[in-house]
Amino acid sequence: MAYSFPEEVLEYVFAFLSSDKDRNAVSLVCKSWYEIERWCRRRIFIGNCYAVSPQIVIRRFPKVRAVKIKGKPHFADFNLVPEGWGAYLYPWISAMARSYPWLEEIKLKRMVVTDESLELISKSFKNFKVLVLSSCEGFTTDGLASIAANCRNLRELDLRESEVEDLSGHWLSHFPDNFTSLVSLNMSCLGSEVSFSALERLVSRCPNLKTLRLNRAVPVEKLPSLLRRAPQLVEFGTGAYSAEIQTDIFSNLVEAFSGCKHLKSLSGFWDVVPAYLPAMYNVCSRITSLNLSYATVQSPDLVELISQCPNLKCLWVLDYIEDAGLKALSSYCKDLQELRVFPSDPYGAEPNVSLTEQGLVTVSAGCPKLQSVLYFCRQMSNAALIAIARNRPNFIRFRLCIIEPQAPDYLTLEPLDTGFGAIVENCKELRRLSLSGLLTDRVFEYIGTHAKKLEMLSIAFAGDSDLGLHHVLSGCESLRKLEIRDCPFGHKALLANAAKLETMRSLWMSSCSVSYGACKLLGQKMPRLNVEVIDERGSPNSRPETCPVEKLYVYRTVAGPRVDKPDFVWTMDEDAALRLS
Amino acid sequence: MELQLRLALSSNSDEGFDLNNRNQEQQVEDCRLMKKKRCFDETFGEIENVQVPQTLPLLDHIDLCVPGYGRNECDEEDGVVGWPPINSWRKRVCHQAHHDNRRGCITTNYVTVKNGGGGGGSGGGRSKSMHIKVKMEGVGIARKVDLSRHHSYQTLTDTLSAMFGDEKVQAYKLTYQDKEGDWLLAGDMPWGTFINSVQRLKLLRNGY
Repeated sequence: MAYSFPEEVLEYVFAFLSSDKDRNAVSLVCKSWYEIERWCRRRIFIGNCYAVSPQIVIRRFPKVRAVKIKGKPHFADFNLVPEGWGAYLYPWISAMARSYPWLEEIKLKRMVVTDESLELISKSFKNFKVLVLSSCEGFTTDGLASIAANCRNLRELDLRESEVEDLSGHWLSHFPDNFTSLVSLNMSCLGSEVSFSALERLVSRCPNLKTLRLNRAVPVEKLPSLLRRAPQLVEFGTGAYSAEIQTDIFSNLVEAFSGCKHLKSLSGFWDVVPAYLPAMYNVCSRITSLNLSYATVQSPDLVELISQCPNLKCLWVLDYIEDAGLKALSSYCKDLQELRVFPSDPYGAEPNVSLTEQGLVTVSAGCPKLQSVLYFCRQMSNAALIAIARNRPNFIRFRLCIIEPQAPDYLTLEPLDTGFGAIVENCKELRRLSLSGLLTDRVFEYIGTHAKKLEMLSIAFAGDSDLGLHHVLSGCESLRKLEIRDCPFGHKALLANAAKLETMRSLWMSSCSVSYGACKLLGQKMPRLNVEVIDERGSPNSRPETCPVEKLYVYRTVAGPRVDKPDFVWTMDEDAALRLS
Repeated sequence: MELQLRLALSSNSDEGFDLNNRNQEQQVEDCRLMKKKRCFDETFGEIENVQVPQTLPLLDHIDLCVPGYGRNECDEEDGVVGWPPINSWRKRVCHQAHHDNRRGCITTNYVTVKNGGGGGGSGGGRSKSMHIKVKMEGVGIARKVDLSRHHSYQTLTDTLSAMFGDEKVQAYKLTYQDKEGDWLLAGDMPWGTFINSVQRLKLLRNGY
């Protein structure tokens, strides 16, 4: 009979397991391993805040130090989830305040965070270190003031793309004079001006500050003062990068940037004046990440900057870069791994820049390490997509947005099925895909057949029938998140593949053809799914059962139907079906 | 053309429309007014076996997209909520860039653009453009056409044919809404008069 290791040894070994997948696997081996593992799990990732309850988490994992929670579905970014839908942080904080006094990290995405929650965080966790609020909302700068004032060991405060009610910039002054632990500050989403002297003093007294992302209100002439106080910076985001050109400002900037020998990442650049860009040339050779997606600057100026960055790995830029600029990128930046090209004028009917499918073809040909792309453009062809797929079989993320919905191959006027088909067939490691353009059920057949590692799929204005959805649900073995809008998918594929939905994190369908009756049926059949009907037209019972619902959000859960639903959300479950029928 | 004002109840069809099945034009207005998302009917274009009678929009053409109205602050977002898929942060930048475009410059006033704004076509000169919404009956998604690029009904029809399909455009008749809000048949007026008063275009099936 085999000896079993003492618990302490097992615990020691488990401490080396950082991936959740590994820890989950370990906890399934036997009861004693389950017990040992749960007592030593320190980091929790909750991909859907409604998939589990705070109580369940705390009961199983009593000694957690770091939580990461995601709330609203991704399409909330595009205003498709009505306000008040949910994803409230407070219940989590109030439960964790009691049970995790040693909590150090809270990272959130698309959650509703109130000042009350922030205050509770600041007072409950004595060793609190990291707060990341990504695309969150519901709080004001008063909440930030609580964090600044009370979190004596704070290392990271990152508010990326959150909607903060900006009452004043005074919150920053709440960091105490003896507070020196800051490593990362991202306040780029805030509107108002903070006290610059308070900011200077904060930067001066935090020797470990590695990331500083300023907001737009910090003018360019103030940057040298900050850079001089933090020459150890690795990531820097400017404020508004514009001012009347003055030689002394320019030379100060050059000198200040030169002092930063460790800078790898630059961002900000609102209102940029091209003449100030050369001030950064001295650091460009070390730059690996450049976010110019707010820089309204023309292609030649962009190219001049990019040509100084041979080590660039990640570039976010507006389509002002044009095909010509992308060609330059592909020749200068051979290490490029991620490219995002955003539209400068997404609502204009006519193109305002010369950016076409050619730019993406060129980059895919010239950059051998390119693996992640987000590309907005106005025309695409199957030929281009096939070329891209052949050039770059190592894509793991491919998100293409052709601005006009249902735009066909502009050369042949055919659907783009074969083009995207080539992508999924060639890119065997593809994990994320966003489709656009004119697409029939055929593209879904290709996806179901080839995209075996695909985890997230976004579909809009595509397909002909339920067969399309069926291909995806039955074929994509690794699928975790599926989001669909404005497609003619009904209930047949859904009901036929109901069990699949339990293997996924979530499914979103809006402006499709799923009837209320089908939603009820799905909710009845699958008790471990929350089938949420989101409909702002009033109760679905006021309409015929065959009437399609506005929006449907289905997710697996062990927490049962949620109790914080607003009046435009109905959970389809057994009780509801009986009550409402 | 006699104009009628009424709500039409949908006839029973397989899809089961809601009782609010109205003229698509009207639905777009409703959707904008009530912050509703795209209505079901808009999405699927031609609805078989349903007679959609000719009705006027119940609402005047009010510009509902004022800044701060709901979360959608960008007044160029017409027709489709949440498309193209860019988040509110980027929308604000686009709004800014669009304004700068209209003023004829990308950068601030202090430094002239090296390229002169030509070539790439991203400079000014857009203030003369005349983008008009075009809707084809039975098609969910409205398009826009820049009338300043046309000098005759013929070139306009050619462009519409390219957008919606030749056979369709030939089979439909082109109507437009003038400044008084009335819908008229296009082609009766001289082009110049038409250009001065057209607010939006609609392609209607023949027979109505």
